[in-house]
Amino acid sequence: MSSTSLYVDADSFLHRLDPRAKLALLVAMAVPAYTFGRPAFIAIPFVAALVGLWIGQGLRNLRRVWFIIVALFVVGLVVWPGFVERGGPVVVDVGPLYLTERQTLFALGRSLRITSFILGGLVYVSTTSNEEIVRGMRGLGLPYAFCFAVGTALRLFPTFLDAAGTVRQAQEARGLEISSRNPIERARSFIPLLIPVFMTAFRNIETQSMALEARGFDTRSERTFYRDSDFAFRDWLAVGFTVAVSVASIALSTMGVGTF
Amino acid sequence: MRELLTMWRDTRMVMLVAVVAAVYAALLIPFKLFTILPGLTSIRPANVLPVFFGIAFGPAAAWGSAIGNLIGDVFGGTFGPGSVGGFVGNFFFGLVGYKLWGNLGPLSSGEEPDFRDQRLRQLIEYVAVAVAAAAACAAIIAWVVDALELVPFSVLGPIILTNNAVSAIVLGPPLFYLAYPRVKEMGLLYPDVLRNEDLPDRANSAGAWAILVVPLVWIGIAVFVLGGAPGSTAQIGLGAVGFLVTAAAAYVAGENFSAVVRDA
Repeated sequence: MSSTSLYVDADSFLHRLDPRAKLALLVAMAVPAYTFGRPAFIAIPFVAALVGLWIGQGLRNLRRVWFIIVALFVVGLVVWPGFVERGGPVVVDVGPLYLTERQTLFALGRSLRITSFILGGLVYVSTTSNEEIVRGMRGLGLPYAFCFAVGTALRLFPTFLDAAGTVRQAQEARGLEISSRNPIERARSFIPLLIPVFMTAFRNIETQSMALEARGFDTRSERTFYRDSDFAFRDWLAVGFTVAVSVASIALSTMGVGTF
Repeated sequence: MRELLTMWRDTRMVMLVAVVAAVYAALLIPFKLFTILPGLTSIRPANVLPVFFGIAFGPAAAWGSAIGNLIGDVFGGTFGPGSVGGFVGNFFFGLVGYKLWGNLGPLSSGEEPDFRDQRLRQLIEYVAVAVAAAAACAAIIAWVVDALELVPFSVLGPIILTNNAVSAIVLGPPLFYLAYPRVKEMGLLYPDVLRNEDLPDRANSAGAWAILVVPLVWIGIAVFVLGGAPGSTAQIGLGAVGFLVTAAAAYVAGENFSAVVRDA
């Protein structure tokens, strides 16, 4: 597995679940995070996602994406108070900064929601290999050609990522300046980086297509697979859990619990 | 629009989808010009690629851009419900190019986008295509993210529009000048790859103009009329109407790029 991947090769309960069951659990995390508005309620899927990361041994991935998570959280706290009516006691009143309790709780809830979504997605990619992602898509009934394209792209992506790094180093060694202060100049300096990478990528398409067809690749005929995907009892449990959590969240929020 | 489905029968188109997706994701992540909203959006040179790929590879670019953005989310650690918006938005980012080039009536140069002859007319046509693609992508992503009540449309819509349009407009012309003739020489332009019966059998300028105008009007109403009402029924309803009209316009528009290539 390439170092670009966030997948953690382990044998946890989450790793053993069918990729479709893991998608269901992602829904179980997303529905309460979406239906509730108050931070105390959204904190539950947030903590659940963190526990999922711990079970799936994906906490190390937090080191790679912590900046995104913190940035999204802070941006939410800054942006959302401007879109909510003031209400309740004043929490902050410093110069132009005037925040009421309602604004603060609303913004905190929205920030927790977006970070819960990101953490939930991180649990999924930490415990699901590229091959399993494609197998899950196939299991969900997506057409084989589409799944094949996604699988091939996932395999080619690290190669092109490495190529992009190599081209960047090579062009910088030739004197290419990509940190100009002038934004237009800076943007244009990326052309010598973009072209070699994608010309290399597209050069072999004809050959690769012929190689595929020579091996009998045909998207129109029904395919058989060496490894069929079994949906075990534990996977059905995960789906049942998702249904229960989703129904309960929607019912409670409809009654006004956990919402503003 | 049937070409979006029938293209999957062609092995070269399937490979184009995979390579477009991988290249887009690979160039999206490491190269960044400026961060606009940390964690959400930054100006990235790779945002020129869906427009270039869209004109050159047609329907394969639409699927490839969508999948490439999804891979970027998976590897970048931002995979989640918002990725649905990213998938559909980037699908349209790649779709608009081949629907519009050569199909904008008086605005069209009637030339292939190689920026060798009639450069000013090609530039005007290209800017219209780039802005339309950027606007469609921005409107769809901001609509979904707003509906999920993650970030308000009025904040994210204009940012994504600017982000996508700046990279595409600045980098597009030199990229087409250098790369388009080579892609054509490789025989990878979609009119050369797709079978004639898979290509749309009409070109409708009114549909193409609707693709250009509707997303911009959608963003304008969402930002300046509805403004600060994230997740509201009005915002979601406007998005549904805007999306359906844009999709219908894409269906009606057909494409005229294959005729431009044939006549060249």
